This record gives sequence, C-alpha cells and structure tokens, in this order.
Amino acid sequence: MHFAGVDIGSTMTKVVLIDKSDNQLSCIKGPTGPEHRRLANEVMRQALQQASLQIDDISYIIATGYGRLNVPFADRQITELSCHARGVSTLFPGVRTAIDIGGQDAKCMRIHDGRLISFVMNDKCAAGTGRFLEVTATALGIKLEDMGDISLKATKRIHISNLCTIFAQQEVIALLSRGEKPENIVAGLHDALASRVAALARRLGIEPDLVLTGGVAKNIGMVRAMKDSLGCEVLVPEEPLITGALGAAILAKEIYTKAVEAGQVLPTKSRRLEKATFFAEEHR
Amino acid sequence: MADEKKKTINRLKSMYPLRAKVNETYLKSVEAIQAGKPAVWAMLNFYYGDPVLKAMDVEVVYPENYGAIAAAMGVAREYLDRADAEGFPTHLCGYSLTTLGYASRMMKELKGQIPPEAPLGGMPKPLFLMSSAAICDARYKWFQALGRYMDAPVWPLEAPIPGIKEFFIEGYYGRMVKLGVKHLRDFVAFVEKMVGKKMDWDKLDKTANLMIEVNRVWHEINELRKVNPCPMHSRDFWSAMPAALFLAGDLEDSLRLYQDMYKEVKDRVNSHIGAVPNEKYRLVFAELPPWHSLSFFDKLAERGWNFVIESFGYHPPIPLDLSKVSDPLERITKFSLQFLVGYYEDARKQNVLGGTSAYPYLKYAKEWKCDGAILHPLISCRSASTHLPYVSDMLMEKLKVPSLSIEGDIVDLRLFNPEDALAKAEPFEESMEHYRKVRKQEGLDW
Repeated sequence: MHFAGVDIGSTMTKVVLIDKSDNQLSCIKGPTGPEHRRLANEVMRQALQQASLQIDDISYIIATGYGRLNVPFADRQITELSCHARGVSTLFPGVRTAIDIGGQDAKCMRIHDGRLISFVMNDKCAAGTGRFLEVTATALGIKLEDMGDISLKATKRIHISNLCTIFAQQEVIALLSRGEKPENIVAGLHDALASRVAALARRLGIEPDLVLTGGVAKNIGMVRAMKDSLGCEVLVPEEPLITGALGAAILAKEIYTKAVEAGQVLPTKSRRLEKATFFAEEHR
Repeated sequence: MADEKKKTINRLKSMYPLRAKVNETYLKSVEAIQAGKPAVWAMLNFYYGDPVLKAMDVEVVYPENYGAIAAAMGVAREYLDRADAEGFPTHLCGYSLTTLGYASRMMKELKGQIPPEAPLGGMPKPLFLMSSAAICDARYKWFQALGRYMDAPVWPLEAPIPGIKEFFIEGYYGRMVKLGVKHLRDFVAFVEKMVGKKMDWDKLDKTANLMIEVNRVWHEINELRKVNPCPMHSRDFWSAMPAALFLAGDLEDSLRLYQDMYKEVKDRVNSHIGAVPNEKYRLVFAELPPWHSLSFFDKLAERGWNFVIESFGYHPPIPLDLSKVSDPLERITKFSLQFLVGYYEDARKQNVLGGTSAYPYLKYAKEWKCDGAILHPLISCRSASTHLPYVSDMLMEKLKVPSLSIEGDIVDLRLFNPEDALAKAEPFEESMEHYRKVRKQEGLDW
C-alpha cells in the first residue's frame, strides 16, 4: 500500500509518496505558477517516476494547500494547517509550536500529540509573509535564495519598517541610494519579518519545541532572526518545504488504514492523471 | 460567495415581522417629514434617550443601523467611495463613512433630497441629531460631522461609563443615577424646545414600562437558547433585535411580536428542534457581524455550526425590578445603566476586570455551553476590537474554549474574505474537538 500527499501552495507545489510504514519514497517540488496550478498531474507523474510506481499503486491521495481543489485525482482535501501540524510532528515528535512562513501567508500552530489545537494566521498582508522578502530582494537586485548567506556578512542590522511591503521596498531603495551596504539591509529585512511573525506567534503562546517550516526556513539569516526575535531555539527540518505534503500523505495513510480496519471502503477518485480544468473552460 | 442563495439555517417565522419593524421605522420617518412632523437622527444609546423621543412622538432613525442596512443591501460601497472623495480617512468607522457619504450625496449633490438608491426609503433631513458616547468613543465627532452636512443642531447625550473597579466605590452608583437623570432632564427640555411642545409625562411613564417589558421578554427568549439543540441562530437574533434595542416601531406591537417569538422558540425547545439541522458545534460570536456577507453563516451551518449566543452589546439588560421607581427619568436611567453594569458583580467575583465587554462572553460560553468563539475584530472599529484578545485569553484560561479570530469590517466588504474564513473552519473544528476533551478532563460539564 502506498499513499500520496499533494500540497499546492501559492509558490511551490509539493508531492510526497510514502509506504505503509511511513517511509518516504519520493518527494518532488515544482513552481506552482498560474499555469502549473492546473498541472498537479505533472508533479505527481514525476513523483511516481521517482518511486517507480504507477498511479494505480496509490491507495489514497490527499490534497492540501490553497490550490487543493485543483487536484482532480485527489480522494480528499484537508486544510494545510492540519497537514502541516501532522507533517511537522512526524519529523519532530516533541513539537509544541510550529511556524510556517510561505509565499502568501504565515501560520503559527500549537500542536498536541501530533494534532493541531490552535492557530493564528497572517493572511491579509504581505508584510508578514515570504512575499516581503521576494519584493525586497528584487529591489536590492539580489536572488531570493542568496539572502541568507548575504545577511551573514552584515556588520550592523538596520531597522526597517515591517508595516507594509511597499513601504519596506521604498525604504530599501532609499537606503541603497544613501550608500548602505546590501548585507546590512538584508539583515534588517530579516529582523523586520521575524519580529512581525514572532508577534503573531506570541499571540498564540510559544512552547518548545518550536519548528520553523516553509520556504523562508531555507534562509539561514531568517532562521537566526527568528531565534533572536522569539528568544528560543528554532528547529528546522532538512526539507522545510514538504511538511504539508508529508502530513497529507501521513493523514492519507491513517484515514485509509482506519477505514480498512473498520471494514469500510473509502470512495476514491479516478486514477487518471489529468490536468485540472476550471469551470469557465468546461462550459466554453 | 458561490451558491449565495442556499439557506441551511432554520429561521424562526416570528422573526420576520420583528425584522420588518426596521423598514417601518425608516418609512415612518420619511412620512413624518412629508407631513411636517419631526424626525431625528440618533446614535444607539442603550435605552437612554430613545424613550424620551418616543414619548414626544419624534420619529427616529439610526445612522449606525443604516450603515449596517446599506452594507447588507449592497449599496454601502457607493457611499464609502463618496466619503473617500470628501477626504475622510478610510480607516474611520465603516458606519460613519457610509453615513457621511450618504449625507454628502444627499446635501451636496441632491440639495437635500433623499438619494433615490437609498435603501428602505432613506433617512430624511433631521430636525436635530442626538449623539451618545455609550460604549463607542467616536460617536460625538461623527455626529458633529453629520450635523455640519445636515445644518442641524447636535445634542450630545452624555452617559457615564464606569469600569468594574470604579463602579464599586461607595456611593458611585447613586452619583451615576443622579448625573444620568440630570442629563435626561436637560435633554427633555432641549427636545421640548426643538419640537415646540411639552413632554407628556404619563406617556413617558408608559413608554418606559413598555421598553422594560419588551426587553424582559427578549431576555427570556435568549435564555431559551441555552438548550441543546439551540432553537434560535444568531442570524435570527440580529434580525429581531432592533425593536428591543432601538425601540423600532410601535412598542405595544413589538411586545406582542416578542411574545409570539417566545412561544415559537419554546415550542422548538419542547420539540427538540434546532436552528441548524445537525448541531455539532455551539459557538458564540463577537462582536459585530459582517453584515455584507451574512450567508457566510449558512455555509458554517452546513458544517453543523450553530451560533447560539452573540455580542453582549446587542443583548438586553439583565432584568431588574424597577416597578417601585416612580420617576420615569430615574427608571430609564437605571434601566440603561443596568445594560452596562448588570454583569459587574459577577465579573468582580470572577476577577475578570477587562473593561465592560469581556465578562459577558465568559458567562455566555459557560451557560450556553459553547465549543468555540468566533471573534470578528473590525479594522475600522476600536470599540468592537480592543477587548477581543483579552476575551480570547479569558475563554481559554478559565473555560478552555478556543477562539478563532477572523478580521473584517462591518460595512467594507473589501476587508472580509468569506472563502478564506471558511477555509479556517475545518482546522478550527480540530481545535474545538481537542478542547472538548480537555474540558472533560478538567471537570467542566460540556
């Protein structure tokens, strides 16, 4: 028996395949993008290829993430909060607080025995999300993935407003024109985002172990800034992008196994890997 | 939202004639102006100035309520844009912006004519405006601005708003009552002068008693909602409340309608009929709902979410025997104060001292056996937002009831995303399930 979790995030699509013993058989990440959002089938095809499996080998598939309704072959949709909580607690059984900073939102979760017990989200403003770094990286003329290493060279940390991404972008341009070093600005940007997310997490109450996930967790400068802002140790998975997809796969296994043990047959979707279509196209 | 017309909530039949009281109020105010009678714009004042206006046969409309109506009927946007064009900052109260936009359109563009697109016949030009600081701190300035557009005098009806600790200073209550009665007496003199006739004190006496009785029955209806399944959803509460809260329409008629509602709710209790088909979760809602997106609650009802109790600010005062108070102004003052301070003794015992608005939510969550609280902080309203983090903390600390905070606005639908809010419902159910177990472990009985 094999199980799949598909996480369609705002920036990246992730697929994780596991077997009945939770062994990870494959893990594929690809950009979501406006067109890719409907191409979950392609990411799944790559994941199957990596694991040398066929789609019919997958007993149960769960889709999560903001694009979870665009996965026609998924048997069930579960919200990213629940999937992240399960994925993180699989990797870190002692986790009590998880923070996921994605391209579109930031989620702070309290977890108990692998289950989500409370959460808060920043979902109305880009200033508390990965988008804040994307926009300001563009203003600095540097690659997003280079920000972490650049920030380690900082000789001072500049205070930058975390109220608004556009204000921060203008501030960055002004600082550059004043001759401020990019590494100092980047360090300031990390502090700005970290303090905003830390304030959100404090609203929920922070209890260790604390795990940071999402694309932003790949940035070593941000991890340091989060440690400073939170005042506690921050654990980061080896691959912080896939916790949602992993959690979806684990939940798929649990739901399926429970049904089998109860003698129930779960309804499943057609195992054809088709591109998602949208309402407007179907009725054209 | 997709599928806007799908209705899951089992609405009360007796709610509809009470909801129609709002329409009646606005139409009467327009008719009054056409017949040369006085009409007034008033702030929600919690049973304080309303009985005086009612006894003086003055038709009253409420800009605050009108803001909600404009939002619910989908016409607020035009007035918001107009207020924006007038130069009012967009972060001001959504109700105030809507009515300032309305006032600008009516007085500057249409030279005093009611805008043809205005819902429920619109608000006519008032003889005067009555503002009130009860609960909301922005109301004086809002009404002063409206008064400038309307070229009409504004009477600020002062109301003492003590905190819980101050209230228990010896002699405090007596001084509050004295101050309240004095303000009301001055207000009566002002209204007499504006309307050109003397107060009929017997009529005021009768009006005050009817107001108290209407609110007693309304209170009893809400007490019936404690049962499982809850027979009445918050949507019915919000629809039915204006006749008790704003004294909308004829009070004798309203009393009969609330008595009808009591019977219907009681019948549902006896027959175990709930307001949602399969009540799975019981929730308290705080504070003001997103009037422009009320079908959001139908979507949640499909998941078995029943909103069994809501904002303290809309609920009637805890009943108080005022039958021995002979002066109607003193009776009115004590009844209005009771709205504010009726919970204070219990709040002090429980050591929940966060202003006036936090303790009722603890009482509600416990007595109405709520699984969760939906908090709706409003981007444009301090009064309905600043206490919510404290409410959330108290609910968790004392009752192990989780809260979900969904930001939005009462009027500006651009600030509320129903789909996003609905996406949080599923994980919040996990949270509610978890804390059900925790409450049982801690010996709480729901």
